[in-house]
Amino acid sequence: MLLASTSIAAAEDRSEVSTSMFVEKRDGGKGGLVVVHPQASFGFDLGRYVTFDVAYAADAVSGATATIYQVDAVSTATKFSDLRNEGTVSLGFQGKRSRIVFSGTFGTERDYLTRQIAAAASVDLPGRNTTVGLAYSHGSDQVCNKDNGMATPLESRALISDDPCNKSAVFSGKDTDGMTKWEDLSLDTASLTITQNLSPTMNAQFAAFGQVAEGFQSNPYRRVKIGPNSPQEHIPDTRARWSVTARLNRYLPKLKAAAHFDARFYDDTWGVVGGNVEMGYSQYVGKNLLLKLHARVYQQGAATFFKDAFFYETESTAGEYFTGDRELAAIRNVNLGGKLTIITIGEDKPVWGLFDKLQLLARGEVMLLQNLPADSGNGGGIGNQFINGGSLIDAVVISLGLLGNY
Amino acid sequence: MRNFIRLALLITLVATTACGRQAVRAAEKQFLADQIMIFDDDPHEASASEHVRTNREGAAGGKGAGGGGCGCN
Repeated sequence: MLLASTSIAAAEDRSEVSTSMFVEKRDGGKGGLVVVHPQASFGFDLGRYVTFDVAYAADAVSGATATIYQVDAVSTATKFSDLRNEGTVSLGFQGKRSRIVFSGTFGTERDYLTRQIAAAASVDLPGRNTTVGLAYSHGSDQVCNKDNGMATPLESRALISDDPCNKSAVFSGKDTDGMTKWEDLSLDTASLTITQNLSPTMNAQFAAFGQVAEGFQSNPYRRVKIGPNSPQEHIPDTRARWSVTARLNRYLPKLKAAAHFDARFYDDTWGVVGGNVEMGYSQYVGKNLLLKLHARVYQQGAATFFKDAFFYETESTAGEYFTGDRELAAIRNVNLGGKLTIITIGEDKPVWGLFDKLQLLARGEVMLLQNLPADSGNGGGIGNQFINGGSLIDAVVISLGLLGNY
Repeated sequence: MRNFIRLALLITLVATTACGRQAVRAAEKQFLADQIMIFDDDPHEASASEHVRTNREGAAGGKGAGGGGCGCN
């Protein structure tokens, strides 16, 4: 399941194609997790005031997953695969100092449907040193779930890959009586962004984000071992979340370089409190090469109802809810990465075809994930309750892209 | 949510009143217009990174909407 973001690519005459590959280590002898994520986007002007953008993205996912969240989750590892397709169409209107973009997104995969409408507006304030942006999106997603009828949470069965998740006319889920039921999930997201020029070599950005999710938010496949039973995980239907972010760029003219700083604080009604800091450095090498390096540290505390598997097995649930979602656990994630861009700019004629500027991009990142115990004084099972724990480097991302401006 | 709205209003107020209108003149925006000074200059990179992170971490948001780097569109 993937949650679409509210950010909307700025419409302009540019096209980009790229492919990322994410590889995560997984224990249990069933292979790792591999996600191939191609993207393509094309934007062009329709006259002076109107812009039009289309974008496509996909996720081809294959690898291992744990069937049951328990002290020894590795023994329940199985293989799975899925394909997700997503398309976005955007129509923008721009003036001298302002822009508004309306967009619609539809995404489909075997067990999840994304249906989102969004609007994003920005305006340069007088003096053109301050840009204020506002965005709002509404998603009415659907999740395929086991039809559990009137079963209590502790009796609910999880979806399995053989269960039918039928769709009617592609855009809507279709229930299969006694087998599967499509659950609703609404997502309302708003953000405010202020970008400020502080000096000829420094700018900053402040962003506030808020989201309310209402509906089915469990992973329908995930089971949690509670004593002798393993029901489908059960988490609250409502989640309100917010974050604030500050970013700063400083240009270093003598070095033809820039330093970047990013910090974020996050909080939600499930009790997850987190934050991250990120430092980056961009350096031109000659006329056509741009190298960017970054390092990021993220840490979060666990949701109030998240417990280590040992707790659920020996003590029962944490109140009404129980989950084995690592995203709701206490974790620390360190990202180290770099990006190399080869830039070709045509002097008085296009570089190639219509393109005035072409950029070839290569990016790589390693992720070091540490699972932290959710229950003080109880480390029982933490080493094996997730099938991707243990090693220093947890995941790697590599990507290649070609960006053209015309 | 009430705290979030208060914070958003405060940030808006500060940005629209306290920041100097002539902090940087148009002729001084050469460096600010450079692509390495634009926040989220590469939408594919930004969305791919956010995509990975929101599937590994509980937090979400943080990358703003709209708003370029130099205000010199």
